[in-house]
Amino acid sequence: MPISAAEALLHVRDLDAGYGKIAVLHRVSMHVNPGEVVALVGPNGAGKTTLLRAISGLLPWTGGDATFAKESLAGTGPRETARAGLVHVIEGHRVFTQQSVYDNLLLAGYDVPRGERTARIDEALAYFPEIAAKRHDLGGALSGGQQQMLVVAQGLVRRPRLLMLDEPSAGLAPVLVDRVLGVVGELRRKGTAVLLVEQLVEKALASADRVYALARGRIVLDEPTTAADLSHKIEAAYFGHAS
Amino acid sequence: MAFGATLASILSTGLAMGAIYALIGITYNVMYSTSRVMSFTAGQLGMLGGVLGALFTLRLGMPLLVGFALTLLCCAVVGMVTEFVAVRPVLASLDQHLYVLSTLALALIIQQVTAIEWSTEPQAFPRLFGIGSGALDEKFWLPVVACAMTMGALEWMQRKTLVGRAFLAVAEDNFAARALGLPERNLRIASYALAGAIGGIAGYAGGELMLAFFANGAFLNFYGFVPVALGGLGNNRGAIVGGVALGIFQQAANFLVGGIFASVAVFVVFIVVLLAVPQGLFGTSTARRV
Amino acid sequence: MTSLSDAAVEKPAELGHKASALTAAGPFVALAAVAAILPLIGNDYWAVIATRAAIYWVLVAGLNLIVGYAGQLAIGYVSLLTLGAYVTSVLAAGNVLPAMPLAVCFAAAAMTGAIFGVVVGLPALRLRTFYFAISTLGFATIVTQIALAWQSVTGGGIGLTGPEFPKPFDTPWGFYTFCLGVAAFATWITSNVAHSRYGRALVAIRDADVAAEANGISKSRALIPVFLLGGAMAAVAGGLFAVLQTYITPDAFTFDLSVLFFIAILIGGRGSILGPLIGTVVLTILPEFAAPLAAWSTFLYAVLLLVIVLAVPGGIADVLDFHNRRVLTNNRAIVPDPSVLPGLYAGRPAAEPLTMRGVVLAFGGVRALDGVDLTIEPGTVHGLIGPNGSGKTTALNVISGYYALQKGEVRIGDTPLPTGRPELRADLGLARTFQTPRVVAEETVLENVMIGGTVSGRAGFLTTLLALPGRGRDERELAARGRMALRAVGLESLADVRASRLQHSELRFIEIARALMLAPKLLMLDEPAAGLSPDEIARLGDLISAIARHGTAVLLVEHHADLIFAICQHVTVLNLGRVLADGTPADIRSHKEVVSAYLGG
Repeated sequence: MPISAAEALLHVRDLDAGYGKIAVLHRVSMHVNPGEVVALVGPNGAGKTTLLRAISGLLPWTGGDATFAKESLAGTGPRETARAGLVHVIEGHRVFTQQSVYDNLLLAGYDVPRGERTARIDEALAYFPEIAAKRHDLGGALSGGQQQMLVVAQGLVRRPRLLMLDEPSAGLAPVLVDRVLGVVGELRRKGTAVLLVEQLVEKALASADRVYALARGRIVLDEPTTAADLSHKIEAAYFGHAS
Repeated sequence: MAFGATLASILSTGLAMGAIYALIGITYNVMYSTSRVMSFTAGQLGMLGGVLGALFTLRLGMPLLVGFALTLLCCAVVGMVTEFVAVRPVLASLDQHLYVLSTLALALIIQQVTAIEWSTEPQAFPRLFGIGSGALDEKFWLPVVACAMTMGALEWMQRKTLVGRAFLAVAEDNFAARALGLPERNLRIASYALAGAIGGIAGYAGGELMLAFFANGAFLNFYGFVPVALGGLGNNRGAIVGGVALGIFQQAANFLVGGIFASVAVFVVFIVVLLAVPQGLFGTSTARRV
Repeated sequence: MTSLSDAAVEKPAELGHKASALTAAGPFVALAAVAAILPLIGNDYWAVIATRAAIYWVLVAGLNLIVGYAGQLAIGYVSLLTLGAYVTSVLAAGNVLPAMPLAVCFAAAAMTGAIFGVVVGLPALRLRTFYFAISTLGFATIVTQIALAWQSVTGGGIGLTGPEFPKPFDTPWGFYTFCLGVAAFATWITSNVAHSRYGRALVAIRDADVAAEANGISKSRALIPVFLLGGAMAAVAGGLFAVLQTYITPDAFTFDLSVLFFIAILIGGRGSILGPLIGTVVLTILPEFAAPLAAWSTFLYAVLLLVIVLAVPGGIADVLDFHNRRVLTNNRAIVPDPSVLPGLYAGRPAAEPLTMRGVVLAFGGVRALDGVDLTIEPGTVHGLIGPNGSGKTTALNVISGYYALQKGEVRIGDTPLPTGRPELRADLGLARTFQTPRVVAEETVLENVMIGGTVSGRAGFLTTLLALPGRGRDERELAARGRMALRAVGLESLADVRASRLQHSELRFIEIARALMLAPKLLMLDEPAAGLSPDEIARLGDLISAIARHGTAVLLVEHHADLIFAICQHVTVLNLGRVLADGTPADIRSHKEVVSAYLGG
């Protein structure tokens, strides 16, 4: 089951990152293999979002290195990483509220060759028939769940090799959470790797092959989701060693 | 008869000046939309539109169309210079308002170079078409037509082109646009070039009315910002309504209470609106701070 | 052992303080000496230049409080100079009213200047900086237009004669002496304001406006006095300018002068008096040395401004600040000393509980707080935890007044907290810290902490201006209290260091020290352990417990579960804007629903 790190699609080594004087990540190392779904869990403020931002180039890192498909990500911005096939869907279903669903997807395809855009958009919408029916509605008119579907669809327009999803369940009703996470399963069947940051640990584990737990800016757990007594280990990771 | 003539004069001058103010307001807005920066070069671009138009056509004797194209090109370049010199270096610390100082410095540099190399006195601006007279003279309707055409082109661009949508996306949520892989930096430079051209159009279309005068820059900085304050930051339609309202109000006050108090009246209205409706009459309220 | 090392720390700090006060006065004395011997060596031409520098400084000194201290970018201040020049000249000439004595003319000018200083400043009280900049610019445009157009009063483009001074001030050097006196007075009063709680409040508004409100600083109450003062000083300068010019026209008041004033302050450095003073003198004299460049002077000023903003935003004062170049030891530890807490809490009103009842707050359709009840008892540490978006920080912001609740109420003891008025919290004994420390990077650690005592100062603005005894007493008390608070959190040795040089963890403790200035009834800590090392977290825990033991009710929002369970007597768990559980740490730790909510089951 475990594939050696050398074949990893995304490989992060000893990464340090933070905001100004505040160091958030301390020597974080992790990897994602091709076609693998990896869950990244951890308490608030542990640095999960910061890690995703550092990987996708939204935040410069201060130490360590990360490679994607054997190419270093040092100094690359989000535009370059997205072109390379590493797509980051940020938290908070931030759609462009004043533009239609279709235009939101067109924007995601800004770098896609003009002739391919329509096909790519239809392909992405095929995952979400709910919003395909609303392609002419404004992004701001969608419900929170539909907006979340839209931002995931925006990511899919790029045909990613690795899709990083930051808290796709936040603020959604349970049914919609299952709906959005169901797509993760579909992507996995089609061979797309997913790095999933989630608050809903149990649901995240159900969709993932492997799990990392991040606490206080450090990786404190790296287990396959089939590991024995996993929930206990994660609880211990969350609450420190007080238990 | 006399009243009718006065009314016609108030309306024609008011609409013309209002359209110029509105165009400068749009210049502020276009720069603001991609950078969250309000730049003092907006008014100077309007001044340059007039001065460069006169320079190319009258002093250098170029054909009208070439002069116009060159004027817009130069103004677009000045817009891009604004982005490189006065905006990008201070974007990282937007909350310290250093952009107020850096864009002011650049605006003063532009103004002083113009004063010294061009003239400190108002200079003639070429008569473009020679159509109309009295209240229907081209100097009155040209700015209005320019404003309407600019607004139409902007709206068309935002609705029908991907670049236009990308502008809107960066304006609404810069971070999300960046995360989506949009070339945010290039879009910002492009928006400054576009703003430069719009400022140039304002000055060029208003050249016959305002002449080619270096001090128009500071004047337009203030009067062009009033529509932005009235219409709400980033709201182009609001800027047009605000600009026209300001132009007509100013001319009416000019007639009713005289030039001294007309400018006082404008200033008072500006302060009162800012205090009563800080987000502008058509604007949306501001973000959270904590 | 402790007392020994404490004494060792204390002495150099005290000495350093006195020495720095002396060195601070040195340059002013030197400048005054040069100004005093100038009449002995210079000719009449020099008298005019030197007088002009003194007059400009009268304006710049007041403007410095607005631009340099409060950070409000007033770019069109020449308008107030114009106003003052015309008011004095018109009243003295008697072409509207009967001619008046000089003193009345100047008093009238000062009053007009003060009034318009506030009118132009109104947008600054509520709006973004750019709006204020543009309103001063607009006012400058308009004043010139009026001066040109109102011919019956101002003489239009032809102008009018300025007032004349009686003997012995009617000679160039006589008038110079008078202006020098006014300039010295201007320096003295603005320096009194700058080094008082008013001055610190201005800087807090400039660099940390949210924290300023939490410390009881109201933007309008802080800014209006300096707008009045700055306007009056500019108008008086205008009157003197009219005397110096002997004849004034609108042309004399170009926008270039505004730029000169403005740049003098920025070259000099924000938050300094000496820097802008040197800047004014240099910029006034410079064109005299470089006559061929006179036409380009404004251009050069503008280039200078651009270079300063992009390269040295701190100005001359920053470059010359050798004191803050001294290397700080790298491995310094924060060692709190709770034994001084009784001193801070002496004579404070009795502790009271904070209660929230049925608090509802919705953003758009989302109920961030959905009927929250909470009681925080004095003397306890009360933990507030919950998953992301559960409403913890929102609750904190409702209590501290940044958000206006829509239903329900919050009380401290029996007093209801006024909704949505953060600047009224400090007076009621509520203090807080922020997720990202909000401190004034350019001020010293001690000055930052003294901001926390703003509401306890008693000296009024006029008392402060004229350095009447109340000001000194306030300053001494606040400084002593500030050092005590710093000792309590373990940062006393860094009291005189600029905050920008400190590490992130130290900034967190500065915020706690600032909050302790109030000996608060309620202390709200928003993720105080974030970014701290395990050792520092342990010390933080001890410090928080000690603060609670002195009667303060502590509300602790924190992600570090171990810290919460180690020091809280009571824990409330929020989820989706509601209270999910409430009890002792042990109750919460075994609460199955909490564990699953936290883990998102």
